[in-house]
Amino acid sequence: MTLLDFARGPGLQWALWIFVFGVTWRIVGAMFLMAKKDLSKARRKKYVADGVRTIITRSVPARSFEKRIRFQHISGYAWHFALFISVLFFAPHILFFESLLGFGWSHLPNTIILFTAAAATAILIALLLRRATHPVQKFISNADDYISIFVVLIPLVTGILAFAHVGARYETLLAIHLLSVEAMLVWFPFGKLMHTAMTMPSRYQAGTSFGHRGIKA
Amino acid sequence: MSAQTSSFQDFRNLLQHLGTETADRDMSDNERIHAAKSTFMRKLNGRKAVDLDTCIQCGMCAEACHFYEATLDEKYAPVYKFRLLRRFYRREISPMRLLFRPFTKDISVADLKEWQHYVYDACTSCGRCDMMCPMGINISTLIRVTREGIAAAGFMPPELRALRNEQRDQNTLFGVGSEQLKALIHDLGAKKINVPLDRPHADVMLLTTAADILLFPNALAATARILNKAGADWTICSDVFEATNIGLVSGDDPALKLSIKRIVDKATAISASTLLLPESGHAYQAMRWEGANEMGASLPFEVLSIPEFIAAQTEAGKLNFKPQDNGTSVTYHDPCRLARKGGVMQQPRDVLSAAGLELRETASTGRENYCCGGGCGEYVVKSSADLRQKAFEIKRREFDETDADAVVTGCVNCRINLAIGAENSGWQMPVTSLVETVAARLAD
Repeated sequence: MTLLDFARGPGLQWALWIFVFGVTWRIVGAMFLMAKKDLSKARRKKYVADGVRTIITRSVPARSFEKRIRFQHISGYAWHFALFISVLFFAPHILFFESLLGFGWSHLPNTIILFTAAAATAILIALLLRRATHPVQKFISNADDYISIFVVLIPLVTGILAFAHVGARYETLLAIHLLSVEAMLVWFPFGKLMHTAMTMPSRYQAGTSFGHRGIKA
Repeated sequence: MSAQTSSFQDFRNLLQHLGTETADRDMSDNERIHAAKSTFMRKLNGRKAVDLDTCIQCGMCAEACHFYEATLDEKYAPVYKFRLLRRFYRREISPMRLLFRPFTKDISVADLKEWQHYVYDACTSCGRCDMMCPMGINISTLIRVTREGIAAAGFMPPELRALRNEQRDQNTLFGVGSEQLKALIHDLGAKKINVPLDRPHADVMLLTTAADILLFPNALAATARILNKAGADWTICSDVFEATNIGLVSGDDPALKLSIKRIVDKATAISASTLLLPESGHAYQAMRWEGANEMGASLPFEVLSIPEFIAAQTEAGKLNFKPQDNGTSVTYHDPCRLARKGGVMQQPRDVLSAAGLELRETASTGRENYCCGGGCGEYVVKSSADLRQKAFEIKRREFDETDADAVVTGCVNCRINLAIGAENSGWQMPVTSLVETVAARLAD
């Protein structure tokens, strides 16, 4: 079995199993802790509307906060946008998703994907440097913060190298790229990449609890 | 500040000596750690678990915190203030705890001592960070649980401990009990202000605060004028009149519940349909939002803050105001627990407008409002004095930018802290209360 065979076969399977089981375990486990019903008289009882609205409104910081977090706000959006374009609209990725899901979708030209992947990589490196140097971020950061950045950064870099056929044989580069993605999937349930799954529930519950008191969260 | 200067100096002297003779019970290190962990275990639930699991440690919450803004000290980032709770969660409760435990440091007594500074001196539980968090995490609640754990471990600041003990054991605060209330009501009676005391039944049960009795007796006089003008069937009870809940601000759950129960029992006994709270942000949180949860059942009466009551009575046509005067302008300071955490933001503004005042908003207002710097009992804690003053300066700058004639607020604790900050810095803008401002403009 070659390295590429392993990456495409058992490596990928194990990584996906760990990812699915780990994410499910962590979400269900947190939910099972439950919370008591709020017995105070609600000022407003539009919980679903308040929860959904907060999922949307927290995507934009409040007016008086925005100027203080502008860099993180803009770079955060730019990074996620560039990443999603690169992952979801690159033709070989779509073929992979089609093999998993049974359906595919249109792809974007390679030049656009190369640009978004390079942009995502550059922004992530900038965010990594900021975390390592900004007084607050440097102080509060732990291993999870850095590991989570690296396990996302490496697939981006190896993906670009594989695309450009730079540094080694294509098969080797592709195997390394796949293995780095699998490392990210394995790490996902254990680190802060879990925010991908938790952000919406967290925003939703903020919306409902503040909405109960008549406050727009 | 409309408090008598001599009274205010006496009060500041009293604060200087508060807690100096108060010892908590001896606890071994193991007992302290066990008490903190038991509290964390009891208080953590699914909602808080989601919050703790969602945090990406972006640090943006620091930019919402007045203590960080005032000092640029990274330790005051709100995310760090609940780090201890997060460590406990990851070691003991998280679904991944078996994997996290070897890599997560256990809580030590040194940690509890260190975090006392972060959660008492450097957090007023104002909740501004809650509004900043892009993940929607209720950060201030996580810090509050941390505070409760540290309180259980015996590391509550001595000033709060002294007040907690006094309220719990003697049902007084700052030495103010039923005799002082009766004396004030007697004085008000001499000024033809009727305060119905200890009526066996009344629709409205009014609470006040020891701080008002000591420093701002005009606040009770103004409230009485408003209630009488509105034709309310009301009373104040000499044995249960204190709205301040030291249990809430100090992080002592049993004391929080005891104070709530005293009020609920009394209001029920006199068949009150409305519990009317004085100008106190945290009293509103305690009774309006936590009362039912602490009692385990819906409350048999409505809980209203005084701005809500005045707004409702004005809308009903029961309160009328003199024609607009010479265009006096005011800026309104939102008490955090009344506004951002309580939902009472529009009513005070409606009331000030109805009273003919020009309202000038600060740059950060309503749900984004800066704390006065001394909320959640912090204004009594001596070790936080420097930080409080720095946070006050942020607030002062925003007030000054409005160029208003006066600051109006709806919380006696904010009023005291602003007065302390003003006195320390020589700031001259008058600070007064909503209820006094409005009562002075009632039509005859």
